Order: sequence, then structure tokens, then C-alpha cells
Amino acid sequence: MTGFHSPSHKEYLLKQREVYGRHIFGVFPAQYPRELLWAMNILPVEIWDPPLDTSHASAHLQSYICSIVRFGLEFIVQGKGDILDGFLFPHTCDSIQNLSSIVNDYLKPGKPCYFFYHPKCPYRESSHRFYIDQLRDLAAQLGDQVGELDYNQFKQCIEKGEKVASLMRELYSLRASGGLSASNVEFYRTIRQGEFLHPDDLIPRLEKFLENSRGSQASETSVIMSGVLPNPPEILALLDELKIRVGDDDLLACGRRYLVPPSQAKDPFEALAERYFHMPPCTTRNSPIRGRLEDLINKVEGSNAKGVIFWIVKFCEPELFDMPHLIEGLKKRGLPTLVIDVEPNQELTGQLTTRIEAFGEMIR
Amino acid sequence: MWLSKKIRYHFMKDLGVPGIMRFSRTGKKRRPRKKSTSLGPPLVCNSRLRELMATHYLLSRYAQGAIPVAWVTSGAPVEILRPFDFYTFYPENHGALCGAQKLGPELCAEAEVHGYHQDLCSYARIDLGHYFSGKTPVGRLPKPDLLFASNNICQTVVYWYKALAEYWKIPLILFDTPYNFGEISEVDISYMVRQLEEMIPVLEQISKRRFRYRRFQEIVGIAKEASLTWGEVLSTMKARPSPMTIFDAFNHLAPIVSLRGLPAALEHYRALLAELEERVAHGVGAVKDERWRLMWDNIAIWYKMRDFSNLFAGRGMNFVTATYTNAWSETIGYLDEAKPFESMAKAYSLVILNNNLNHRLQLMERLIQEFQVDGLVIHSARSCKPYSVGQYDLKRLVTERMEIPTVVIEADITDSRAYSEEQAMVRLEAFFEVLEG
Amino acid sequence: MNYFSGIDVGAISTEAVIIDTGGEISGYSIVETGANSTEAADEAFDKALLAAGIRREAVEGIAATGYGRISVPLASKTVTEISCHALGAQYLFPDTGTVIDIGGQDSKVIRIGDSGKVLDFTMNDKCAAGTGRFLEVMASKLRVSLEEMGGLSLHAKAEVPISSVCTVFAESEVVSLVAKNHPREEIIKGLHRAITNRVWSMVNAIGVYGEVTMSGGVAKNRGVVTLMEEKLGKPIRVYVEPQIVGALGAALFARRQSRAVT
Repeated sequence: MTGFHSPSHKEYLLKQREVYGRHIFGVFPAQYPRELLWAMNILPVEIWDPPLDTSHASAHLQSYICSIVRFGLEFIVQGKGDILDGFLFPHTCDSIQNLSSIVNDYLKPGKPCYFFYHPKCPYRESSHRFYIDQLRDLAAQLGDQVGELDYNQFKQCIEKGEKVASLMRELYSLRASGGLSASNVEFYRTIRQGEFLHPDDLIPRLEKFLENSRGSQASETSVIMSGVLPNPPEILALLDELKIRVGDDDLLACGRRYLVPPSQAKDPFEALAERYFHMPPCTTRNSPIRGRLEDLINKVEGSNAKGVIFWIVKFCEPELFDMPHLIEGLKKRGLPTLVIDVEPNQELTGQLTTRIEAFGEMIR
Repeated sequence: MWLSKKIRYHFMKDLGVPGIMRFSRTGKKRRPRKKSTSLGPPLVCNSRLRELMATHYLLSRYAQGAIPVAWVTSGAPVEILRPFDFYTFYPENHGALCGAQKLGPELCAEAEVHGYHQDLCSYARIDLGHYFSGKTPVGRLPKPDLLFASNNICQTVVYWYKALAEYWKIPLILFDTPYNFGEISEVDISYMVRQLEEMIPVLEQISKRRFRYRRFQEIVGIAKEASLTWGEVLSTMKARPSPMTIFDAFNHLAPIVSLRGLPAALEHYRALLAELEERVAHGVGAVKDERWRLMWDNIAIWYKMRDFSNLFAGRGMNFVTATYTNAWSETIGYLDEAKPFESMAKAYSLVILNNNLNHRLQLMERLIQEFQVDGLVIHSARSCKPYSVGQYDLKRLVTERMEIPTVVIEADITDSRAYSEEQAMVRLEAFFEVLEG
Repeated sequence: MNYFSGIDVGAISTEAVIIDTGGEISGYSIVETGANSTEAADEAFDKALLAAGIRREAVEGIAATGYGRISVPLASKTVTEISCHALGAQYLFPDTGTVIDIGGQDSKVIRIGDSGKVLDFTMNDKCAAGTGRFLEVMASKLRVSLEEMGGLSLHAKAEVPISSVCTVFAESEVVSLVAKNHPREEIIKGLHRAITNRVWSMVNAIGVYGEVTMSGGVAKNRGVVTLMEEKLGKPIRVYVEPQIVGALGAALFARRQSRAVT
């Protein structure tokens, strides 16, 4: 479920290029217009947590920079991106912002590097206009490398994106109501395939998963996960072992990006903009804290959750600034919270296992 | 109730505070500081600066409830607030002050106790620490009616101000400046211009004043003039010996940051410039025996200012330039009263931290050449990611291309708990050996 | 008469407690964990049996807790040390609402409700500062024993503030303070202040409810306990052997489980 370093993923990507002539782009977290890339015959492959030892990255990055940025830099420095045709950096946070420049200006990986700035809250009329302009600008820049954007292709890809979103919404809804028999591990392994599969392959995969997983869930206790990404997966396995279901999530890599309401606009640019501005609240877009708290509470109520686990990547400023407010707001409603900060791709320590177990003992 | 506060504010502004300042000037016996053998005579303008900022902080106590109060980030386009007569307060400046007075750890701890992680920016933790405890070395801070931020310097200020907006239940206006990964584009400029235009009705509503375009243009003119004068102040440090140390410059940054657009800032820099030009004319150096000229990168280590000033001066070293002080004069040339919105968009978007690292490298190379710099000290500030991420590569490239010794000190702007004196000295000593050897 | 046992296998020490059906402590032991958790658990259990004057067969149920709880085949149940400290502390001092446990490797603050139920908790398990390890490192630098530190600090006329939060930095700070001839007691008091402040921020995060009980090895240090009492503005309960609170809680869980079955 992590990057595409593993042979099966690499095979898939090479096949995408050979058989379908797709360009393979490495995309850093988090928000970017996927449908636009698909329409331009680009397959985005997201780089969140490739399992690499980050010793090279340490030559470029101080110790107080988060693992996701370190993995990303390590990935490039080690030349793991050699099969890629380009990189895209969304403007997610200060660290990713500077990472993009370290790569583009200092390391010069020999592939085109693109940058996507998305407007931050509080949104106004100008934000909408800017987002559309940015989409057109990105399309024009990419066009120089991969050929002009085809309008009809774009419309089709918007529909595919809508299909993926609708399947995700259904999966999440079923899970929240206790009607999904899949384990936590299986659930996230499946949906995280959205980080590299083309929609033509992702859609049938999700449909099959949905079909096979309908059925009641054995666990009686559910929690909400809030944070960046579900790594290490051992935590999900531990929760499965403790018979605790993740009822819903507010994870940047998952729920915050996948649970987009359907868009009404006919024009594909407008449709993407509509989606962007209606995404669930997120720190990388500076969504107001009150909205985030309400969203979390809705998730708790919608899945009958007994508590919220904040799964933080160390040094992640956007998440850490919101947390005190969220915890206080949840406490006021009598909801227990647990904060775990853990390095992705690392084994669970005894201490972390104890914390999660103790939380489980507490909420049952 | 409000009227009496308004009257009191104006009384304090015109008579009360100036009176207090005059009185304190005559009555005050400054604790005689041990005369440094390696530093030149202190600037006369240092006491002028102290009074200017003391006045500003003292008056701020009377602003609350009398005139609209805005808390502003250091890189925000404050010129658009000035026509509405907002009293502007800069939490970053307050943070620096707390850092210099060694109150960083105490205030940060107050925020940490309330759940704010120790890894977060210490300016933010100090400010939140103040929110929870009310502690401040300046008496009392005026509660804001508005939070005004721009993310041109970092995204952290927005996360921080968003938290404050929620605590105080007041509006937050964000001036969203797209990052200049490449060159600034027309799309970016239009976005920023539209944002400035959209702000006006909101500011009118909060301040209960009408926007006056002519007044706004005047203010842009004053801000421009003050920034250009600040630029000239910095240029005097090209002289050999330099008439000022960068540590003094860090202090004298306060008016251009927090009083930009007000006549007081311009007046201060005119006075400072005159004093520095006089020194240059007579060859008076800030460091008695200036043998090496250094550059500083990143924000100051506020709690080590005096110590470092003495340490380096004692070795005949003066910091003659810094990317940090340069930031408030670099882009001001874009300001144009005739096209205030568009020129402000450029001036605020093209600040050092909103540009790519290639731009930063070129800027540093230019400063090294213009100021005849012999060595570079890089402060890797834990709190400041946009400044710090990329410094390791910057160090490598500057050392290679400019062939000058460079050293990195790991520390923090105000949280001294992240600073180890022993570790820093080991690195500096090695740097001195290379420089002097 | 039936007995129940709790075994707390920590990274440094292992404790075993034996209680009777009424919950009274019949015997206990504290041994070094060493390299093998299973052996340490066995050893502690046997020593506790000896202290209680009973044989293995008399023990109806055993629960294990602590870092090495999964390595105790003797035990029929495992419970985290958070829940065990909560139950144990509440049993010893029924009006306990907050438990502060400062052990050798970690520290925790637990808010408890009726019947010792855990309502909220926070742990410091990544960093040595705020744990017994901090004091151990400093004791060695000051050439005193851990046991002496409490008493010494109570004699201090003044206190030398320690500014470092990191154990490694603090160590070098202590060395330079000793070189500057600061009296040992004053440095020790400063160190106690540092550890108290560290733990205090955890206490503040949880909030102080009801009466406060301290457990774990550091609770034996009167210097730290006194400073914590000052911070709290109320007296702190400390059991005569604060290190066995976790094992006691485990024994009570074993008894509870057995009752639930019958």
C-alpha cells in the first residue's frame, strides 16, 4: 500500500506507458486536479511514504522536517523516480513548498517539475476565479510536454472522477453504518490504491471490493481517525486485533480528498472548481477550525464512534495547530481522544501499542 | 463608554504618552552598561528607537475600545489598513521582544500546557502563551477587532491566526500570495489585486470608516519612502568599517515592520541615516577593529543578540548584511502610488520567503559581493521552515561558488530550550579557525 | 481461601503482588527484569508467593501488565499499565481522581472515575526527561545515589535552575554547574524542579480531579513529591511502596475477571 517501489506496482506503471502510452508523473501530497492529469494522458502516482531509509535526505533537510518530505526527497535523490516523466508539487505546506524548490532549483532531477498553487481559505470570489485560471495554466504548461488538453477527454475524465468519488462515498457510508465486513487493514489497502491506479482500473477494483465486503461488521466499538495518512498499517492491524473498527476518517490521504460531493457544473473546469471548494475541511487549505470540529462530530455521530484518534506525523504544523481546539471541542462533548505521533514506515513500539490498547480499554 | 475611551486614547496619543516619555527620559538612570572594548560607540538613534517603540506599545493599551485594532503579520500589506485608522499590533515583533528579554521558554510553556506542541513556531507559542496567561513584558496588549495575515512569509502565520480567530471569535482576513515557484504571473497578480479590492468593504464594516483612495495612495507613498530610506540605511554598511552592526539593524527593523506607512517610521530612518552617514564620513566603525565582514542568514537568535554581538566584535568581526534586514527594502521599489493595488501585489508577493531558492541564492551572492563579505553564518531556526528548509544546500552552494567559509548554527528564534551553547560554540570555533586561518 | 496475582513486567524492574479474595495484599516482590521478561516474571511471582507464605496452586488467577506483559505465560489475562495503575491507586486511596506515575522509563497521568475506570490519560514515553531515567543520569553525574536525592534536596537553602529540557543537554549543564561549585543539594533541587515541571505540563493537560496519588519509583523521592505538592496546592498520596501499584491493579483485574466468570 505504499509507493510504487514494489515490483508489482512498477510493472503496472510500465505497462501503463507501453500499452496506453500514458505519461507517469510523480505527485507529492496532497491536493491536485487528478482528472485534469488523466485527461492529458498522465497517470499521477502519489509519493507519500515510500519505504526508504532517509540517510541521503538528511544531508538536505534538518531534523525538524517531517518524514513525508524526507521520504519524498530521498525518493528523488536515490533516483527511484527514474521511470517517471515528470513531477508535480502541490502547495500543501511550507515544507513541501521548499521541497519543490530544492528539487527544481538545486537537485535538478532532469525531469520537468510542475507546481500547483491552490487558493487558501477564507474563500472569496477571487479564489474561485484564481482556481480556474490555475487549472488552465497548468493545462497549458503540461500541454507543452504531453500535448494539448482535449476537451472531450476532459469531460469524460470528470465523469470517471465522479464515479470514483461516488464509490468512495458509498464505501465510507457503508463502513460508518457497520455494514462493511472488511477489516481496517483491507479497507485502507484498497482505497489507497487510488494513489496510483488509473480510474479504469480503480473503478472495477472498488466495485468488486464493495460487492465482496457487504455484510455486518463484528466489532462493536468504533473510532474516528484524524490526521495525515494511515501508516504504519500495523496500527490498523492492532485495531483489528482489539476489535475496534475505524468508523470514519479525517485523514488527508483518504477521507479529506475522497469524500467529495457530486458536482453540478457542466463545464469541466467549473466542475473541478466546484469540487475543490466543496471538499471536506482540511488544514492544507486553511479551512476554519469550527468547520473541522463540526465535521469531526458529524463523523462521530454518523458512525457511532466512541472516541477520536489523532494520528499525527511528527512536525506536521498544520495538523498540530488545529489539534488543541479539536480536542477541547470533543472533550466538551464527552468524547475521549488519543494522540499518537508515529513515524511512517516504522515498527510499532511497545509504548505505542500500550497507548492504543489502553485507549481501547478506556472506550469499551 | 466608547466615546470616553476614544477621548482618552487621543489624549494619551497627543499629550499623555509623549509626556510620560519626556519624564522618563529625564528621570531615568540607565544601568551603566559595562563598556565594551571591542564595540564602537552606541548609536544615538538606539535610544530614539527605544522611545519610539515604547511609545507605540504604551499607546496600544489605550487603543482597545477606542479605535479599531488589528493584529498584523510582518509581511501583510498593512498599507490597506492605514486609511481606516486601525491601530496595528504585530505579534511577531512582540515575540521578538519576549525572546530578547529571555521570556521565550516561559511563554511557550504556557501554550504547551494548553496542548500546543513544542515543535511549533515559537512566535506562535509565545503569542498563544500570552493569550492563555496574559503575561507580557509590555504591560497589556490591546485585544484585536481584526486579524490580518498574509502567507507570503509562511503558512504557519495563517494556522496561528486561524486559532486566534477561533479563540476571540473575530474575523480573519488573509492576503493569499501564491508561491513563486517560477516567475510571478499575471494570473497571480490579478488574484492578489482582486483580494485587495474585496477587502475594502470588509474593512469598512469592521472599522466603521469609509475607504479613502487618495489617503491610501499617500500612505503607499510614505511606506515606499520609509522602505527606501531603510534601504539606504542598510547600504551605509557597505562602508569599511561598517557604521552599524547587524544586531543594531535587527533592532532598528521594528519601525519598518510595525510602523510601516506611518510618518514616524520615515522620520526615524531619516534620523538614523543621517547619523550613519556622519559616521561613514568620519570612518567611525561599529566594531573598533573590523577585520572580517560577515553575512547572517535567517531571523535573529533574539536571546543571544548581546552575547553574539560581543563575541564577534571581540574577534574583529562584524555582520554587515543579512537577508532578514534586506527583506524590508528589497521589493519596495515595486510600490507605485499611481498603481497602488497592482504594485502592492508585486511588492508583497516577491519577498524573499515567497520566492524559489534559486532567487535566494542569487540574492545572497549579490549581497556577498556588494558588501564584501568574508564569511556566512546561517541560523537554522527550528521555528521557521520557509527560511530553514533549503539552507543545507544553500550552504554548500555558497561555499562552492563564493569560496567563503560558512557555518550553520542550529537554534531557534525565541525558544532558548532549542539552543545548546556548547554545540554552537564548537561550530563557531571551527568557523573562526577557517576564517582567520 | 483463594488468591489472585498481578505481575508488572517493566523495562527495568518487575513487580508481583498477591492479594486475597478480600483484596488485601498478602505479599509482594520487586526484582530486576534483566534480559528475560518471562524469567523475571517467574522470579517475581515465586518471591511474592514466599512473602505471602502460600503455594502456586492457591493462586486462582494471574494478570500481567507492563512492557513485557505478553511474555508472561503464567498469566491468563493482560491489561495495560494505565488501567492497572488506575485501579490500583483507587483501591489504595478510594478518593483518588488523578494518578501521576513516574517510572524509570516513562511517566503518565491518568484521570480516573468511579471504580477506578480510566477517563483520560497521557503518557511521556519518548523522552527521558520527565522520567526516572533523568534523575538516574544526573545522580551518577553528581555522585549520589538515587535514594539520597530526595533527602538532600529537602535541605537545599536555594535552588539552581536547570534551563535545558533535554536530558543530554541537562547533563552537560549539571557538569558545568558542579565545576562552578554550586552546592549539590541546590542542583538536585533544580533537577527535581525540572522533572516536576515536565510532568506538571502533562498533569495540566489532563486536569486535576479529586485527590492525587503518585505511583512509580520516583514517588519515593520526597523532594519531587514536595515540589509537585507545591504546584498542585494540595497533598499527594503515596503508598508505602509506590512501585507495586501497577501489579496490585493487575491482581485486582485478575480477581474481577474471576468473579465475572463465577
